[in-house]
Amino acid sequence: MGILKNIADKYRHIFLAFLILLCMPAVIPVPTASTILIYGLYALGYNIALGYTGMLSFGHAAFFGLGAYGAGIAFRYFNASVWSSLLTGAALATFFSLIIGALCVRKRGVYFALLIAAFGQMFYFLALSPLKRITGGEDGLRGIPVLSVETPFHVNLADPISLYFFILVIVAISILVMHRFLQSPFGSLLQGIRENEKRLRACGYNTNFIKVFSFSVSGLFAGLAGALYTIFLGYVPLNSLYWLTSGTALLMTLLGGVGTFFGPLLGAGIFIYFEDTISAIVARWEIIVGGMFVFLILVFPEGVLGTIRKKMEQFGQTESKSVQERMLNWLKK
Amino acid sequence: MQVILGLALGAIFILLASGLSMIYGLMDVVNFAHGAFYMLGAYAIYTLNRFLGNFGLGVAFSVIIVALMGSVVELTLLRPLYKRNNPLYPLLLTFGLALAIPDIIKIIYGLVGKSIQYPESLMGSFLLGTLVIPKYRVFVIIFTFTILIALWLFLKKSDLGMILRASTRDKEMVDILGVSVPKVMTAGFTMGIALAALGGSIAAPMVAVEPDMGVNIIMQSFVVTVIGGLGSLGGAIIGGIIIGQVVSLTSLLAGAYADVAIYFAMATILLLRPRGLFGEIGRE
Repeated sequence: MGILKNIADKYRHIFLAFLILLCMPAVIPVPTASTILIYGLYALGYNIALGYTGMLSFGHAAFFGLGAYGAGIAFRYFNASVWSSLLTGAALATFFSLIIGALCVRKRGVYFALLIAAFGQMFYFLALSPLKRITGGEDGLRGIPVLSVETPFHVNLADPISLYFFILVIVAISILVMHRFLQSPFGSLLQGIRENEKRLRACGYNTNFIKVFSFSVSGLFAGLAGALYTIFLGYVPLNSLYWLTSGTALLMTLLGGVGTFFGPLLGAGIFIYFEDTISAIVARWEIIVGGMFVFLILVFPEGVLGTIRKKMEQFGQTESKSVQERMLNWLKK
Repeated sequence: MQVILGLALGAIFILLASGLSMIYGLMDVVNFAHGAFYMLGAYAIYTLNRFLGNFGLGVAFSVIIVALMGSVVELTLLRPLYKRNNPLYPLLLTFGLALAIPDIIKIIYGLVGKSIQYPESLMGSFLLGTLVIPKYRVFVIIFTFTILIALWLFLKKSDLGMILRASTRDKEMVDILGVSVPKVMTAGFTMGIALAALGGSIAAPMVAVEPDMGVNIIMQSFVVTVIGGLGSLGGAIIGGIIIGQVVSLTSLLAGAYADVAIYFAMATILLLRPRGLFGEIGRE
């Protein structure tokens, strides 16, 4: 029993999250829920670079889009299976994030972010015009056949619920992997880079290498999310490469709390849900998004989870241990 | 002829890039909303043109109005963020503005692009041998050149200009010497926005005036600014000229790759010379 309890303790937040995700399609329209999962994965990946390593990137849409197009091309032109296409998309995104990361890693802050943005734009415009014959240009990549998974057992992806649970399985595994990755000593290194890179370098670590590694991992998950997006949509929209998609990752991460683990997922949930409900009512919801951004920055820069965490820390310092306190501690990370 | 077009395009880039550079140099803020103000300048001239009928006056008023909007933004939204000491926040805020402002315009003016006629005196073209050179483009080039000279004189010779330059180098020192730094920042930001609005107003007859016109130009302006070096006015000028030519020539030779080319150029230059052509070391 002891071992199980240990595991339960360490992973309680993840269990809670999985529980919520399992129940989500009962409460929200299924396509919305699927979208939340996909963008959540994207944002979680993004947060590895931003929240944990401190690397701001304005071009992550490049990796999301590469994953999406990679999978799309595999489906369309090579009749690949679902698993191969996911792999292709993720691999493509990881490959490019490795290269771009390696090229840009020496630049600081703003320059880094803008450089990544430049690459992102390059991919976008490449897909728009010169590579139109492959990518479908403005219309996006269409002509993807109806999908289903055959191994290890048959899943009909045309059915929204099956699709949701398929995506959920992939996202859940990714979350577990990410969690292990970030909780490991290597994860601490990442946070060290965020806090004080010079000091880490003085300790003898090759921070550039670590940063590139972190960036590639971030790109991997972004690409995986993109590939899932293709499976979900049935085609690849051009704007998966657009800088607005990069900004969306940023917004969701910010909304949920930069540097918290589940923040981006929560942020994705809130954002996508709002987008779906509000765009049904209001035609021009971009003001709301922009306004939300502005409001968040001014008032709640730590995001939802970040603010909760902050409040709980303050709370913890003034009150003595009570049942309430222990309950809060149980919820706190 | 392409060279002239490239120069005219470059002129607009220069106006935007100088503003961006100034704002970054002064406040360490990357103004993502710069394109939005450019767009506001264009819409302002569109609106005023109908009322005033005089293009020159229209431009002047457009710039003033949009610049005032800029100061309001700085005072209400950006200033609270300075004390947080993290350049990320103002950047993200301007990003949010870049999303929100075009949408507001869409509500007011609708989605369809507008167009403005060239002012009477500047319609038509010159004939230079076999070359047909549009008069308006030449005007843009000459006008921008004049503005740049005025700007340079202002920065070099006037007191306020000196304070601005000093604040770019060392804000704390300027503060210690008794100058109100917040006011300087507001002034600098406003000037940067004014330049963007000016760019938008004079670009208006040349391009389609639509709510999203700022979106593409902001990225291109970043390219110019970064190539020239954030914080350097001279760099912005050179960068503008280069990029203007790059865009113009690649449009001619390999249309589809025109957009890709700029970003490729930016990536290349940044990788080879991290601070841009004229940026100051230590700003990276």
